[in-house]
Amino acid sequence: MANKINLILKVWRQKNQESQGRFETYKALDIDTDMSFLEMLDVVNESLTKSGVDPIAFDHDCREGICGTCGAVINGQAHGPLKGTTLCQLHMRHFKDGQTLVIEPFRAKTFPIIKDLCVDRSAFDRIIQAGGFISVKTGQAPDAHAVPVPKDKVDWAMDAAACIGCGACVAACPNASAMLFVAAKASHLNVLPQGVPEKKSRTLNMVKQMDQEGFGNCSNEYECEAACPKEISVAHIARLNKDHRQAS
Amino acid sequence: MSYQTFDFNSSITKKQIVALTGLVLIFFVVFHLAGNLFIYGGPAAFNGYVEKLDDLGVLKTIAEWGLFFVFGIHILTTAFLVLENIQARGISRYAVDNSKGPRSLATRLMPYSGSYLFLYVIWHLIDFSWADQQGPRSIIHGVSYGLYGVVVNAFKDPLHSMLYIIAMCFLGLHLAHGTQSFLQTFGFNDNRFTPCIKKFSRYFAVAMAAGYSSIPLYVLYVLKV
Amino acid sequence: MLDSKIPQGPLKDKWTTFKFSARLVSPANKRKYKILVVGTGLAGASAAASLAELGYQVESFCFQDSPRRAHSIAAQGGINAAKNYPNDGDSIKRLFYDTIKGGDFRSREANVYRLAEVSNCIIDQCVAQGVPFAREYSGYLDNRSFGGAQVSRTFYARGQTGQQLLLGAYQALMKEAAKGSVILHPRMEMLDLVIIDGVARGIVVRNLISGQIESYSGDAVVLATGGYGNVFYLSTNAKGSNATAIWRAHKKGAFFANPCFTQIHPTCICVHGDYQSKLTLMSESLRNDGRVWVPKNSGDKRPGHKIPENERDYFLERKYPAFGNLVPRDIASRSTKELCDAGRGVGSSGQAVYLDLTDAIKRLGIDTIKERYGNLFDMYEKIMNQNPYQTPMMIYPAVHYTMGGLWVDYNLMSNLSGLFVIGEANFSDHGANRLGASALMQGLADGYFVLPYTMGDYLAKNKPVDTNIKDHAEFKKCEADIKNYTHKLLSIKGKRTVDDFHRQLGQLLWDKCGMARSESGLNEALNKIPEIRQEFWKNVNVLGSGEEFNQALERAGRVADFLEFAELLVADALHRQESCGGHFRQEYQTPEGEALRRDDLFTYVAAWQFNGVGQNPTLHKEELKFEEVHLAQRSYK
Repeated sequence: MANKINLILKVWRQKNQESQGRFETYKALDIDTDMSFLEMLDVVNESLTKSGVDPIAFDHDCREGICGTCGAVINGQAHGPLKGTTLCQLHMRHFKDGQTLVIEPFRAKTFPIIKDLCVDRSAFDRIIQAGGFISVKTGQAPDAHAVPVPKDKVDWAMDAAACIGCGACVAACPNASAMLFVAAKASHLNVLPQGVPEKKSRTLNMVKQMDQEGFGNCSNEYECEAACPKEISVAHIARLNKDHRQAS
Repeated sequence: MSYQTFDFNSSITKKQIVALTGLVLIFFVVFHLAGNLFIYGGPAAFNGYVEKLDDLGVLKTIAEWGLFFVFGIHILTTAFLVLENIQARGISRYAVDNSKGPRSLATRLMPYSGSYLFLYVIWHLIDFSWADQQGPRSIIHGVSYGLYGVVVNAFKDPLHSMLYIIAMCFLGLHLAHGTQSFLQTFGFNDNRFTPCIKKFSRYFAVAMAAGYSSIPLYVLYVLKV
Repeated sequence: MLDSKIPQGPLKDKWTTFKFSARLVSPANKRKYKILVVGTGLAGASAAASLAELGYQVESFCFQDSPRRAHSIAAQGGINAAKNYPNDGDSIKRLFYDTIKGGDFRSREANVYRLAEVSNCIIDQCVAQGVPFAREYSGYLDNRSFGGAQVSRTFYARGQTGQQLLLGAYQALMKEAAKGSVILHPRMEMLDLVIIDGVARGIVVRNLISGQIESYSGDAVVLATGGYGNVFYLSTNAKGSNATAIWRAHKKGAFFANPCFTQIHPTCICVHGDYQSKLTLMSESLRNDGRVWVPKNSGDKRPGHKIPENERDYFLERKYPAFGNLVPRDIASRSTKELCDAGRGVGSSGQAVYLDLTDAIKRLGIDTIKERYGNLFDMYEKIMNQNPYQTPMMIYPAVHYTMGGLWVDYNLMSNLSGLFVIGEANFSDHGANRLGASALMQGLADGYFVLPYTMGDYLAKNKPVDTNIKDHAEFKKCEADIKNYTHKLLSIKGKRTVDDFHRQLGQLLWDKCGMARSESGLNEALNKIPEIRQEFWKNVNVLGSGEEFNQALERAGRVADFLEFAELLVADALHRQESCGGHFRQEYQTPEGEALRRDDLFTYVAAWQFNGVGQNPTLHKEELKFEEVHLAQRSYK
C-alpha cells in the first residue's frame, strides 16, 4: 500500500546550451510511493511554479516506457536503479524516506544539454539517416509471403528492434559510445533477408556516421546493456563487429 | 548507396586492430612464460633455453621486430581510442559514480594496467633482455651464471620483485578483460559459449599472473644460493 | 450539404475509378510543389516519406525531439488486414463490413471499403521495410484474432506492433531525409494555419528550443496530428498529444466532425491518486481469459483473492450471458462505470473492478498464462506493486482514441482547399466506434496509399505557389497574432498552474461527457466550461518567457485550446440525440439498457463550423448513404 516519503533532490539546472549549469537542492515532501518518478517531478514542479521558481524541464511523452523520450541519471544510474525500466515506469516505492537523489541529464559531448534535464539526441536520427533503413519505396513491395523468414531470425530482429532510442546506453557508457544503439538498429535489418542487399553499405555508413558524430568507442564494458530499459543484449554489438569486419 | 570499405578511422576497425594485436601478445605472453619456467630447472636449463633462442639468429631478430611492431600498434591504436573516448565523454562526469552494470575492476583499469605494463616492458627490456649476460649482475658468489644469474640477483632484491609482481598482477587484470573481449570485438557472442569464454578468460588471467609471479617468489623464498 | 466527392460507380470499383480518373503531375513538375506535413506518427511519417519518394518537396514537423517518438509508437495489439492467410474466410468485403458495423453505421461506406482494399498493401509494404511481424516456424506470418473479431486477421509484433510500424515509417522518412527530399523540423509545434484566398498556404510554428515564431509556406498542408483524447486530462494518450493543430485549423475555417465520438477502453490500470498523470492500457486480449467482477456487498474491503466465490458478482457474465466478458469496449466500459457509480467499485478510490485470471490459471496452468500475458502482468506489477498471478488486477476504463476529427472528403481534403487531414486527426473511417487493431491500419492506409494519389490529383489542378508568398500580409498577420497570444499567456501571472486547469476540465468532461451522457449533465458542462476558460485567462500562472525552451508555455497553449474545444465536444454530444458507438446518451436506450440508435434522424456526419470562441457553431450535415450494408441494431445479449 501507498506510503508517503520525503526526499531531497539535487537537480541539475541549466538555462540553455550555452550557459553554465549547477545543482540546486529542492525538497520533495509527502511523495506517494505509488507515484512514478516523473509524477514526483510533476508534483515538485507544481510547487516550484507556485513559489515562482522556473519548473524543472524534463523530456517525457508516452509515460508507458515505449516512446524513449524520458531519461535522466539518478544517483549515477541512467533511468534510475531498476533494471529494464524507463524513468517513467520507475516508481517511488523504490526509494527510501529521507533519501537524497542526485538528478542529472544524460551526459555526453554528442548530447548537448538543451535545458535542465533535456538533451539533444538528434545525432541518433542522423545515424539512422546514414543507413538505418531498407530502401523500399511505397508500392514496390512484393506479397508479404513472397519470402518466408525463419522464426529465429525474426525473433532476433525483434529483440534488436525493441530499442526505443532513449540514449541511456550512451549516458551509461564510460566512453559515451553509441554502439548498442547502432548495433541494435543495424542488427535488426541486417539479419532479415529484406535487409541483406544493403547490409554492407548500411553497416559501414552507420558506423561512420556514429564516429563522425563524436561518440566514443566500445570497450566491451557492457554498462549499456545494464542501463538499457529494453535490456538489449551486447550480442548485437558483437554482430555489428562481425558485419563490419566482413564489410570492410 | 556509396560507401568506403576499409577505413582505419572507423572505431570498429581500430578496435579490431587492438584485438588482433592483443591476441598476438597473448600468445607471446604464453610462450614467454613457458620459457621462463626453465628457471626451475636450474642455471644450465635456463641458460640453455636462452642460447637456443640466440641460435635462431635472424629468425629471432625478425620475431623481435615483429613483436615490437605489434606491441607498438597495440599501444598507439589504444591511445587513439582512449583519447577519443575522453573527448566523447567530455568534461562532464556524473556527480555520483554508481555503475548499474557489470563493469569490473579489470575493465575499469584497462588503460591504467596497460600504461603500467608499457612502462614496465621498457624497464624489463633494459633490465633483462639487454643486460650484459656476463657482466657484474650475473655473478653469484664470484661465478657468472649468465642470464640466470642476472634474474636471480634481480629477484633477490624484494623491491625489484615487488615491482615485477605488481606488473604481473596488472597483466592478469589486463588479460582477464582482454581475452574475452577479443571475441566480442571480432563478432563472436553466443549464449552457450560466451559465459564459458568469460570464465576461461578469468582462469587464464589468474594462471598467467600466478605463473609469472611464481618466479620472483621462488627466487626470494625458496631458492638457496 | 457537404460534398464528400465520392466517385461514381459500384462500391468496389470506386477507388480504382478514382485512381484512373485522377489527374497526374508530371515527374519533372513534382519537385516544384512543396507539401508541409505536420505530425510524424504512422500517418504523417508514411505520408511524408511516400510523397517525397514521388518527387515532391516535403517538410515534416513534429513537436517531439525525433519523428520516431510520435504516440503511434504505443499501440500494442496489432494491425488488421484482409489477407486471409489463415484461410478462415476473411475478405476485403468482410473487413469492410466488420468495420462499418463496428463503427455503428456512422462512417462513410466508400472510405471504409477503400481502407479494407488497401489494407493488404500495408502488410506487404511493412514486411519489405523490415518490420519484424510475428512468424510461425514455417517462416510465414502469424495472425491472431483481436477485439472479438470472428476471423484471425491481426498481424502483430509481440506487444509492440505500433512501435515496429512506426519505426518502419520513420526509417522510410529518414531515407528520404538523407536524400534531402524531406526537410525535418523536430521540436516545432504548429500554432496556426495560414489561409490565403480560401486556400491553405502555410503554417506558423514555434521553435520549441529557441521559442522563435517561424512561418513555412507550401502548396498543401497535411495535418497528421492525432486525436484529442487528452482533453479529458487522464487518457492513454502521451502527455504531449494535443488538439492544437486541428483546433487552430478549425478556427481558420476547417469543419470539425463528430467530436462526441470518443472511445473509452475498458481495461486500463486504475487511477491511484490525484497526482496521476496518465493512464496505462492493458491489452484487451486479457478479457479472452479473464473474468470481470465486483464484490456482491458494496464496501467489502477484503482483498480480492480473499473474497469467496459466492460473494462475487461477475456482472458482465450476468448481464450478457452470450458474450460474457467479451462484450464490445463501450458496453464493458459502461457497465463498469455504472457499478462504480453505485458505490460497488473496489480499490482505495472505489473506481475499479477486478479482472481475474485465477480460473484461467487453474485451467491452463501458470506457464500458458505467463506466455500469453507475461509482459502485461509484469507491467501491472511494476505500476501497482501487486502480483496479478495471486491477486486479481484492478482495472477501470480510460479514454483511448477519438473517432471524431476534422471533416475530410473522399480525397482526405478538408473543406478548406489544400488542407489535408489524415490518421486519427480526421473523422473518417471509424464512425462512432473503432475496432481493435484498426487505428494502425487507417493511419498507414492514409499515408502510404491514399494521400499520395489524392494529393497528386489536387496539385495537378493548381500551379505551384510562388515562394514569395511568405511575404504575404496574411503570414505576417498570423505570426503577429501568435506572438500576441503567447505574450498574453505569459503576462497573466495568476495563481493556478496549467495542469490544475487541465485536471479540472478533464474531470468535468469525464463526469458529464464520458461513458454515459445526459442532457442535464451536458448542459451543466456547457455552462461550466466557459467559466473555467475565463478563469484560466485571468488566473493561470505561466513562468518564464516565450524566447526560450518553456514547457509550461507549450502546455498552456494546448490547454487553452482544449478549453475551447471542450465546448464543441459537449455541444456535439448534446445535439446527437441518440446513442451509438462510443456516444451513449442515457435518454436513448432500449428497455434493456442498451444503446438506441436513431437512424431516421442521425444517419449523418455532424461537421461544425467555427463562429468564434463561446459562439454557437454552425452545423453542416453530410448524409451517410448505405448502399452495400443494411443498418442493424447491435445486440450482444
